[in-house]
Amino acid sequence: MKRTSLAELVAAANAPVSPILFMDTGSWTIHALRATGERLPLSHEQRSGDVVLHLASPLKLATALIALDGTANRILLLSPATPLHVTRSLVASFESSTVLTDEPDRLPPGVQAVPWTDNGLLQEPADPFQSGGRDTLWTFATSGTTGTPKLVAHRLASLTRTIKVAGFGPNGWRWGMLFDMARFAGIQVFLQGVLGGGGVVLPNPTAPLGEQVGTLVRQNCSAVSATPTMWRKLLMTTESNLLQLRQVTLGGEIADNSVLSALAARFRNARIVHIYASTEAGAAFSVVDGQAGFPASYLDDPPRGIRLRLFDRRLAVHNEAVLPEYVGEGSRFAEEDGFIDTGDVVERMGDRIYFRGRENGAINVGGNKVFPEEVEQLLLAHPLVASARVYAKASPITGQLVAAEIVQVGGPIDDSQPLVADLRAWCRETLPPWQVPVFIKVVEHLAINPGGKIVRGSS
Amino acid sequence: MSLRDTIISELQSTVRDHGGTALPQLADQTVLLESGLDSLGFAVLVSRLEDELGYDPFSLAEDAFYPITFGEFVRFYEENQPS
Repeated sequence: MKRTSLAELVAAANAPVSPILFMDTGSWTIHALRATGERLPLSHEQRSGDVVLHLASPLKLATALIALDGTANRILLLSPATPLHVTRSLVASFESSTVLTDEPDRLPPGVQAVPWTDNGLLQEPADPFQSGGRDTLWTFATSGTTGTPKLVAHRLASLTRTIKVAGFGPNGWRWGMLFDMARFAGIQVFLQGVLGGGGVVLPNPTAPLGEQVGTLVRQNCSAVSATPTMWRKLLMTTESNLLQLRQVTLGGEIADNSVLSALAARFRNARIVHIYASTEAGAAFSVVDGQAGFPASYLDDPPRGIRLRLFDRRLAVHNEAVLPEYVGEGSRFAEEDGFIDTGDVVERMGDRIYFRGRENGAINVGGNKVFPEEVEQLLLAHPLVASARVYAKASPITGQLVAAEIVQVGGPIDDSQPLVADLRAWCRETLPPWQVPVFIKVVEHLAINPGGKIVRGSS
Repeated sequence: MSLRDTIISELQSTVRDHGGTALPQLADQTVLLESGLDSLGFAVLVSRLEDELGYDPFSLAEDAFYPITFGEFVRFYEENQPS
């Protein structure tokens, strides 16, 4: 049976005259997006092959997805915000020579690009729009469970599994895009909006958050999905007072009761939902009772389409719709029985399961992962550092922050301030801001466990 | 030093340590996220104030609250001061 393409699904879910994408500069119907998609600077052969989408403009990314799903063999969604060396290795493991980009300067040298600049469209359609009826694989970069991102492939069916497709006409919420749209979470929001009947608002992703929220207000956004850290920041913008939301979704980090109750107080007419999803496990389940954690009953009676299991203290998810291995490496991330070890440590308290952090000790600073070992290695490379321990410090704003203890070469000194300032500058030279330890303590010795390893528990 | 002065001084040193831009005059109406701090800087400020003052109103307060202006921020610390 021929698979229905995204363009066909969107066309069925929206009236022909209803725009599905909204920006401050205009709005677009599925018809307009399809017409632009026919003029993408790609040959017929390229369209039916493997295509890397390296597009910073959410509008261009949406256009390309609608044009290529059902036609291309595979697509790779690669955010231009990705560091150059990571982009190089991901493009190599995807094994495609077609890289469609609107940011050629953010591609590593040697990668051949098909530039899609403002005048980059073909004068005439390459060939009339036709859906090849193929089951195009959508490939995403993970957020890096081991430090280096890997590629995971999804089918459209798995990406849309939890989405309620609209009948016909504008009956769904209008979703606001605050995520990087090329990431798994961004695509969930995009699909929810264009298939749910209400459309998607696309603020300028490079503008400050307050301005982005202003766009959401002007374009009548009624639903927003963001990480708890983004939500806390959003609540601190003056523009957020004007947002009239009916749906508030949290994901990507542990949602605590204080952010949940603050959102309930601000958005009184909204349904507040936190979701559990990852690039590997897909969209697994959502929690709608407004409380942190999830009901223990999900273990025996899981939400549709998935199964959950506790493996040691870690949560394992079984999601049939996700392909169980990393692209280009052949290494499986699912167990033989199909369960994926999420690496998220949970604790059962009564009839509720709470998330406690990452099994591998990764620190989550506002949705950005930090591997303590990597920061320790950098500190140890400093000539005055004899040993180092990097750990998480709890923060009510970003969930966690990075803290470090170091032992100085030659023993303790009276005034550690100059060394601390120097170490901070040392880290800032090579690390992105969230990885730089914000608290550095000089201590006499580090705590060591019976196995001779540094004690890594958070404080 | 008054609570307000402590907060101003910690805010200024946080902006400085994180390579922030020069601080405008802090008034009650100043929007916090326009005071030279991004959300990471704001998280650091709250954490430093906890070390300095011995309490963190964001964890203590019964009703969760995220202040928009500098004035609201100071008041939040005043109102949630442990007795």
